[in-house]
Amino acid sequence: MSAVQWIGNPVFSVAFTIASYAAALKLHQRSRWVPPIVAACIPIVALLLLARVPYAVYNRGGNLLTWWLGPATVALGMPMYRHGIALRASLPRLVLIVMSGSVVGMTTAGLTAWALGAPRAVVMSAVPKSVTTPIAIEVSRELGGIPPITIAMVIMAGVLGASFGTALLRLVGVREDRAIGAAMGTASHGIGTASLVRRSELQATVSSWAMAAAGVFTSLVAAILALFLR
Amino acid sequence: MLDFVRGIAIVLGFDGLGWGLHRVGVPIPGGVLGLLAFYLALSVGLIKLEWVERASSFLLRHMVLLFVPLTVGLMNMGQLLQRQALAILASLVVSVVAVFLTTGLMGRWLLPPQPALPGLPLDEEKAGKA
Repeated sequence: MSAVQWIGNPVFSVAFTIASYAAALKLHQRSRWVPPIVAACIPIVALLLLARVPYAVYNRGGNLLTWWLGPATVALGMPMYRHGIALRASLPRLVLIVMSGSVVGMTTAGLTAWALGAPRAVVMSAVPKSVTTPIAIEVSRELGGIPPITIAMVIMAGVLGASFGTALLRLVGVREDRAIGAAMGTASHGIGTASLVRRSELQATVSSWAMAAAGVFTSLVAAILALFLR
Repeated sequence: MLDFVRGIAIVLGFDGLGWGLHRVGVPIPGGVLGLLAFYLALSVGLIKLEWVERASSFLLRHMVLLFVPLTVGLMNMGQLLQRQALAILASLVVSVVAVFLTTGLMGRWLLPPQPALPGLPLDEEKAGKA
């Protein structure tokens, strides 16, 4: 059987992707600095290049995994509800903060890319870069962006915030747990939130609420934006 | 196990509902509509948190696996990425800093420090809840 037949078989490509992901998680346990998403892609890209098989052939099976991003988005409602109860008293103010942050994030990302001469598809790929991947992908599609570029930017926004976010906040005098959590969740979604888990429970709780909320606000704002673009 | 299957079924149901609403013209991504309906159903008690807690946590914990195939698609975009590297990186850094400053400073202004001793709420905190 040829390489195209093997890799074009969804059973093989899904199994190979899961195996690469499992190996990436193991590697991440040993070397914390390697993001699992990067490590998981390397064996797959290597296989496709070595076997000279086009991406579209692999994606016949890949699509089956991508499909589950919808249910994963829905699942975000669970932590949003659970943490929303814990944060009840400050919820209206948090909504205001996260909403403002989302609008600032979308406009600054889009305008900077546009000012530097990026084509429209790249500008639109940049707009949702602060929110959690499954929502960012959908927003990017709705606006005419390129989902893989959006994913790359989402991951970099996460790593950037997780590495330098709290230092930047300290620099401007932000020390309150809820403020730190709100900023991290709005700017750097799940990757940023994970970096807070070992520091403070309250920071992590606010951050995971903010990450889900920022996803919702960003898609609402994008829907309005899309109406004007038509 | 049954508990887990029930949770997945509920989540899939809301995802389907979301996509249905998107299909008939609501201009918000189906997954997000599903999320909002799911959140609403939890809030009004239509579904119980313990029915969906395990299944939702599972999906969220392994979310990275789900976007591996799309990320592999970057292999076809080398040229575009190279040409747009400056725009992409600059937009990223400017926007991440802008979001941190906006939310962090608004947070400093709107979210005053909470009482240090749990169980001894300050007056300010009581006022906040009223």
